[in-house]
Formats: sequence, structure tokens, C-alpha cells
Amino acid sequence: MNEFVIALGWSGLFGALALSAIGSIVGCAIAGQAAIGAMVDTESGQGRYLGVSVMPSTGVIYGIVIMFTLQREVTAGSAPGLFGIGLLAGIALLYASILQGRACASAIQAMKVKPEIFGLSLAPAAIVEGFSVFVFVFALVLAGSIPA
Amino acid sequence: MAPQDRYLTLLTSLPAHGPLFGARQTPLSRLRLRMRLNWLEPEDAEDLARLASVIDWRHQRFDVDDEDVVREAQAEIDRISNAFARELVIWRLELRTVVAALRRRRAGEPAPSGRRRWGFGRWVPHIARHWTEPHFRLERVYPWLPEAKQLLDDGDALGLERLLLGAVWAHLERIGAGHEFDFEAVVVYVTRWDLVARWTRYDADAALARFDELLETALAGVELPPAA
Repeated sequence: MNEFVIALGWSGLFGALALSAIGSIVGCAIAGQAAIGAMVDTESGQGRYLGVSVMPSTGVIYGIVIMFTLQREVTAGSAPGLFGIGLLAGIALLYASILQGRACASAIQAMKVKPEIFGLSLAPAAIVEGFSVFVFVFALVLAGSIPA
Repeated sequence: MAPQDRYLTLLTSLPAHGPLFGARQTPLSRLRLRMRLNWLEPEDAEDLARLASVIDWRHQRFDVDDEDVVREAQAEIDRISNAFARELVIWRLELRTVVAALRRRRAGEPAPSGRRRWGFGRWVPHIARHWTEPHFRLERVYPWLPEAKQLLDDGDALGLERLLLGAVWAHLERIGAGHEFDFEAVVVYVTRWDLVARWTRYDADAALARFDELLETALAGVELPPAA
């Protein structure tokens, strides 16, 4: 039983990174494909499309920081906290990055048609980013209350 | 990649359509559109080709019987695997059936007999039953029908064409909502491209040539009496 709890602790510890990395991979792939399509159709402004397409990569950065913040000796006392915070933060970042990728793809499509709405079209992706920041910040705050 | 993101690159590589009646030309040439559509999966490309073969007027044959046309269309539709594309084809053929009924009645034809398949879709028996009603009791299903009848009665062919293209455009807008980067979005884009191509291609000389061609087909083998 004790080993199982320890295993859960480790999965929470690394889950924050692994799940957020999966989200960033999928999100960047979605936005990247949209950027490539937009580049085929336009003569200029390709750099902007590429820039927007890497927005979902922030998820994995939050995941790395959460993992390092959670890092401590995994014991029967700390494992449940590590599991709960790490895993749930990872799932939240995974979904946020995938959906941010879709929002970025739509933004690329919109800014291709109307370049003047470049900033506005990024608002949905930025709002999703805001929710990722909430998860990130409160995971760090709660990590402080896990027994060392 | 999820099905809803399958054609991200293809769809973002296609220039956007403006308003239908404001367009002076298609947003990209037919050749370029075909090149972009090479990115479709084989089964989707087949579905799109079948959809075009049923809908596109250029593929319509005027030397075959209505029943054969309906039978061939049904066979093609049955082979379309994508439900969205299938429903779109059925909707458009039903629309054409309603307009054909308006034209037939205006030409003085009697109510079609129930034995012959003269049209396509669910409204065929309904139209035959309500032949004497001004709009076949379909004005709730097709709100543009009273206007279409009026335009037909006035002999305003261009106005009628404009109304019908607008109705199809609006229908595409309605059913295309929620489809951004999937095959359904490709179907909507290509169908809209066809509408724009059709509207911007209209010119009097081409219409005259087409009319002559149709007349020759219709009168093939008919001996006209010598002029007095």
C-alpha cells in the first residue's frame, strides 16, 4: 500500500510536466498547421503566423516550473499532495494548451483575411493563457503546504 | 489529429470568400483550387467529386429521362460516405425539385402523376398533392418561395437566379457554423466557390451559346415544317 502511495506521488510530480508537454505538443501542432496554410496563401506577414503558432508552448514551461516546485522527498505524507496538485495542474494545462492551439488557428485564419484585427483575434488565446496562469500560480501557492 | 482539425492547413491556405453578389471573380482560380484539394484524403476527395457530379450543372445531361436522372442521382448519393455532404446534396436537389415544379406549373403542365419519378426527395408527393396551391404549402419550409414564384411569373430570370443562389448561400452559412477546419468546412468552401464562379461567369454571350446548345439537343431528330 505504501509503495502504491509513493508511486502516486511520483506520478503527480512528473504528471505536471508530462501532461502539460502533451498539451503543448498538440496545441503547437494545431496552430502550426494553420500557420503553414496561411503562409501558402499570403505573400507577407508569415513571421506573425509562426509567432502566434508557438503560443501553446507556454503550457510546458508552467509544467516544468510546477514540477520543480513540487520536487521534494516523496514519502507517504507528501505523496497525496504531490499527486493531487501535480496531476490536476497537468490535466488543466493539457486542455488549456490544446484549446489555445485551436484558438490560435482561428486567430491565424482571421488575421490572414483582416490583418488589422491581429491584436483582437488573439484575445481568446490570451484569455485561455490567463486561466493557465491561474492554475500555475495556485499550484505554486499550494505546493508550499505539502509536507517536505 | 482530431477529425475537427483534419484540414487545418488546407483551409487556412484558401483565401476567404467575400459576399456572394459583391464578388467580381472567384477568390482563387479553378486550377489552384484543384491543386489545394489534392491535400484531401482519398475518400473525402471521392465524396467531393460525387457531390459535384450530382450538383454541378455542367455534368447534367438533358438527353435522358427525368426518372433516369433521379435514379442516377440517388445511386451517386448513396455512394457518398460523409453524412454532411450527402444531406447537402439532398437539400439542393429538393430545392431544384421545388423550382422545377414552379416552372412546370407555369408552363401549364398538369399535376405530376404519382407513378413517375419526376423530382427528387421528400416533397415530390407533397407537391403533387398540393399542385393547385400557389406555393405547394411549402412556404414555411422555403420562405423565399413566394418571392421566387413572383419573379418567375414576372419573367425575371436573373432575379430568380439571384434569389436561389442567395438561398443556397444562406443555407451554407447556417449548416457551416461550427465547422472550421474539418471536411465539412471544405465542402462548404467548395460549394460556395462554385456559387461565386457561377454568378461571376454569367454573361449574355455565354448564355446565348448555351441556349443554342440546349435547343439543338432538344430538337435533335425533330423535323421542322418548311417555312411558308
